[in-house]
Amino acid sequence: MKSLRRLTALTKAGVVESLQFRLGTFVTLFANLIYLALVYFLWKAIYASSGTDVVNGMTFYDTMIYLILATAIFNFLEMFIVWDMSRAIQSGEIIMHLLKPMRYRKYMFWSYSGSLVMSFILTFIPTFLVVVIVTKGAVPVGWNLLAFVLSLLLALVINYNIEMLVAPICLYTESTWGINIVKETIVLLLSGASIPLAFFPETFRKIVEFLPFRAVYDIPLTVLLKKNGTDSFDGLINAIVIQLIWCVVLTICGNLFWNHAVKKITVNGG
Amino acid sequence: MTNEAVVMKNVSKTFKVLNRHEGLKGSIKDLFSRDYNTVEAVSDVSLTVSKGEIIGYLGPNGAGKSTTIKMMTGVLEPTTGEIMVNGLVPFKDRTRNSENIGVVFGQRSQLWWNLPLVESFKLLRDIYLVPQKDYEEMLELYDSLVDLEPILHKPVRQMSLGQRTLSDILAAFLHNPGIVFLDEPTIGLDVSMKAKIRELILGLNKVKNTTVILTTHDMGDVDALCKRIVIIDKGRKIYDNDIDHLKSYFGSYRTLRMRLGDDSWIEQVIDEKTTDVMNVIQETQKKHKIKDIELQEISTEEVIRKIYEGGEA
Repeated sequence: MKSLRRLTALTKAGVVESLQFRLGTFVTLFANLIYLALVYFLWKAIYASSGTDVVNGMTFYDTMIYLILATAIFNFLEMFIVWDMSRAIQSGEIIMHLLKPMRYRKYMFWSYSGSLVMSFILTFIPTFLVVVIVTKGAVPVGWNLLAFVLSLLLALVINYNIEMLVAPICLYTESTWGINIVKETIVLLLSGASIPLAFFPETFRKIVEFLPFRAVYDIPLTVLLKKNGTDSFDGLINAIVIQLIWCVVLTICGNLFWNHAVKKITVNGG
Repeated sequence: MTNEAVVMKNVSKTFKVLNRHEGLKGSIKDLFSRDYNTVEAVSDVSLTVSKGEIIGYLGPNGAGKSTTIKMMTGVLEPTTGEIMVNGLVPFKDRTRNSENIGVVFGQRSQLWWNLPLVESFKLLRDIYLVPQKDYEEMLELYDSLVDLEPILHKPVRQMSLGQRTLSDILAAFLHNPGIVFLDEPTIGLDVSMKAKIRELILGLNKVKNTTVILTTHDMGDVDALCKRIVIIDKGRKIYDNDIDHLKSYFGSYRTLRMRLGDDSWIEQVIDEKTTDVMNVIQETQKKHKIKDIELQEISTEEVIRKIYEGGEA
């Protein structure tokens, strides 16, 4: 396997590189604690004012577990590709990436993979373990974990493709900040990362069903928590197939868009 | 395989540039403006580089040197004309072309900033699929050419500019490419580092028979490395020949220096084809007392400066 050697080498380098910034991990964990405190009190107030224990089929407990794990996934998936790419384009650094003997999108994905492995180990797994221990059995532990890892990997690919679809837009607009904010907001809202999808109005939820963002946060989480029928084999396969379809669709779109965008660089010098 | 590393035929590159207007009103106008200017960065350049050659690719700032190099590496697509590098069309086959070229862009680095140099080397070894045996041989060769020990285990971000440039050049040669492009490699370096880098490039060229295409503003680099130079100005090729011919490009120039009675030196650049040196001395002697005379060969730097300033020959 010729290309495997390239990929593992890039992953390894990413791991070594992110180990140099151990402190960043602790800062992330600390920031998470503050954010989760905010989420806790906000939703406590929402449940208190609703007068019932169960809102939209979810207890306060369910909601908290969902949102805490969503935050953990967010930290794991956060890649800053939009920033990195626009900086690379503005400084001309992107030439060095284009001159590697690998396709650009592939090269970048595997360059990021090492830091993803590290953030999975250093932020996701600890958060997950704390949630499992503290909630004592609210998170089912069984074969669903295996399905969850698979679903999370697909979510990772989908998220990468969304980022890589948005990032080249800065080649056309010459501004990055606004685009990144728009992307961040859309992904976090429509994926269920900041509000569980169950709380959305019926029609809105129907629309979201047909968008790829759900496949990044909501599907892995429902697989993990065995919600929405994913506790049955058919339901699980259904969820994974939806993710697979988005993987393929977004990879094709991303490739096409990138091939068009890269012409901006090769034809007009960026 | 043919003996040509690079063949360029009538290559031109034009850029579309938006005509910007001044002031706030102008900026708003620019938002909707379709008023483009075409700028010809490279026009009708033909060039053949043989394997194993070191050529100096010179020209004043903005002459189109980097644009040409970018076209040869495949990151820019020529507007018209043909380019073949190692038998490939670079912009169509950029990824495959990259396997057989090495690039150093002056103040840019391809090394991993936070990793020790040796880790960057190992990574490049794997990315370029260099067999372990070849990799070890290359490191041995490097060790015989430069003092690797102080830099090999140092993170790149802690290196001095000189060490980093040296490392980048080593990295560009690591997969033993057919051609290495060096875009102003000695920019901002001290005299001894420049000498080291020149020695290294010459050594690698000799041992590995690597074609080197070098752009620089430092005539010391040219004198030390290149037998052949190509000069472009305003996108056009204006000179392509041996470095020895260059000195007679505008005629046979020499500098005559004379020390007068009051110990001051006067200098005059003389074209020996049109003026006789002895005549000049005699003329001067009529007006002043001459204590001393020196006759100097014109330096490459002076010829180049004349070409840049004079434009057309």
